[in-house]
Amino acid sequence: MTERVVIVGGGIAGVSTAASLRAGGFDGDVTLVDSGDFPYDRPPLSKDFLTGTKDVKEIALQPSRWYDDQRVRLINRTTVTALRPGDGAVELGDGRLLRADRVVLATGGAAARLPVPGVGGERVHVLRTADDADRLRPALAPGARVLVVGAGLIGAEVASTAVRLGCEVVLVDPVAVPLAAALGPELAAWLHALHTRHRVTAVQAAVESFVDRPEGIEVGLGGVTRLYDAVVLGVGMVPCTELARAAGLEVDRGIIVDERHVTSNPAVLAVGDPARMRQVPRTEHWEAAQHDGARAAATLLGAPDPAPAAPWFWTDRHGLHIEAVGHMEAAAQTVLRGSYDDPSFAVFGLRDGLVVAAASVDDPAAVRAARRLIDRRVRVAADRLADPAVNLRGLLRG
Amino acid sequence: MSNGSGIRVAALADIPQGEGIAIDKAVTGTADDIALLRDTDDSVYALDDTCTHETASLADGWVEGGFVECPLHSSKFCLKNGEVQGLPATKNACPHRVEVRDGEVYLFPGESP
Repeated sequence: MTERVVIVGGGIAGVSTAASLRAGGFDGDVTLVDSGDFPYDRPPLSKDFLTGTKDVKEIALQPSRWYDDQRVRLINRTTVTALRPGDGAVELGDGRLLRADRVVLATGGAAARLPVPGVGGERVHVLRTADDADRLRPALAPGARVLVVGAGLIGAEVASTAVRLGCEVVLVDPVAVPLAAALGPELAAWLHALHTRHRVTAVQAAVESFVDRPEGIEVGLGGVTRLYDAVVLGVGMVPCTELARAAGLEVDRGIIVDERHVTSNPAVLAVGDPARMRQVPRTEHWEAAQHDGARAAATLLGAPDPAPAAPWFWTDRHGLHIEAVGHMEAAAQTVLRGSYDDPSFAVFGLRDGLVVAAASVDDPAAVRAARRLIDRRVRVAADRLADPAVNLRGLLRG
Repeated sequence: MSNGSGIRVAALADIPQGEGIAIDKAVTGTADDIALLRDTDDSVYALDDTCTHETASLADGWVEGGFVECPLHSSKFCLKNGEVQGLPATKNACPHRVEVRDGEVYLFPGESP
C-alpha cells in the first residue's frame, strides 16, 4: 500500500502530480523536493518575467499556503542525490534519507547546448530557469546586438521580447521554416515571416563557432563571422535522467515509462520532460506535463487513467497569441478559416473526415472547438470548417 | 448600486449559448468588469471578468458543463462559485448573484450567488 510518495522536482509535472493525488483522495504523505525556493511556472520566463514585468513570486505555481492546505510537504533548495527503491527511500543532498513507498521523478530537463567551440562562454545564454532569465535580462539592454539561436517556441519568444526591449535581434535557425510539422507549412511560414515585419533579422544558417572578444562575442554563422553582445540558445532540452540511470532504471533518450508512467522499477514513476513512452513521441509542452502528473497520480491511486486529450500548446510572439492542438503532421488536408490578412484566423488539419489538428492566431476559441472535435471524433465537412459564418460549436453538436 | 431587484444588464438572448459577455464596471459599480456566462444548459452565471492568472477576459472564454475555460491559457473556473479547477490559475474568481426573469438577466454585484 502506498502511504508515502516523494516527488522529485517542482515543475508543472511534479506539482500536478501532488495536486492530482490530493484531488483524487490520497490521504498519505506527499513530499515534493525542489531545488528552488518554491515551484514556479516557466512559460512567463521568456515573456513577462524576462521583461521584469513579473517577479518570481508572481509566477509561483501555487500560493505558499497551498502546500499547507493540501498537506504537501515542500522541501526546497534541496536536490535528491540518489534513489534507493530497494530501501524504500531517497537520499537528499544533505545526506538525509526520506522514506518513500513510491517515487515520482519530475526532474525536468536542462537547456541543450550546441556542440560548438566556445558555447560555454559568458555571453552565451540559455533560458530554462528563473536564474537563467535573471542572468539574461541585463544583456537585453536597448541597442544590444543579440543573436538568438533556434527559431522554435522559446527562441521566437525571446527574439520577440528582445526586440520589444529595443535590442537589435538576429534569429538564426538551420531550418527554413521552423515549426512546420507542428503548425503546418503555411502558417509556420507566415509566423516566421512575422519576425522580419517586427525588425528581427531572420537568417537560415548553422552556427559554427563562438569566440569571446573584448568587444563582444564573435559568431561563425553560415561561413561569415559577426559580432554580438549576447547569444541566446533556444535549441531544445536534454532530459535529466542522471538519478534514474544511477538507480538502474531503463533510460534511452529519456526515462522509459509505460502508459501509466511506471518506469522499469515498479516503485518509481516518471513524468514530464524526462519521461518517454517507447512508442509515443515526446510532447515537451506545459499541458503535456500537467497531464502526465494527473496520469501518474491515477496510477498511484489505482484509479482509471484520465481520458486522453489531444496535445495542446500555446505561444506568444510579437503581440500575437498562437495555439495549436492535435497532430498537424498527420493531416491529409488543411483548411483555412478566415484569411492570413485577418486579425485572427485558424487552420484545421483533417484526415478521413475527422479533424486531427488545428492552429490559430488570436482565435483560441477555434482551437477550443477543434480540441473537442478531435477528442470526440466528430465528423465534419471541410467547407463548413472553412466558413467563418459557421458556428464551430454547432459542428460539435454534429 | 444594486437594489432588491438587481440591475438589468442584458437580455438572455444577448448571450450566445456556451459563451459570455462582459458588463462594464461602470455599469456594475465593481472593481472589475463582470462576465455573464451562459452555460450549454442555458443557466447563467456571473464572475469577475479578468482571469485570476493573467489578464484575459473570461467573457471570451469557452463555457461548458458548469465551467468557463479562459481563452488564454485554459484556466478553468466553476461557474457557480468561481472556484479554480487546476493550474495555471491558482486563485478563485469572484462570483456574483444573477437572476434570469422573463428572458432578462439581472445582476446583483457583490452578492454571493
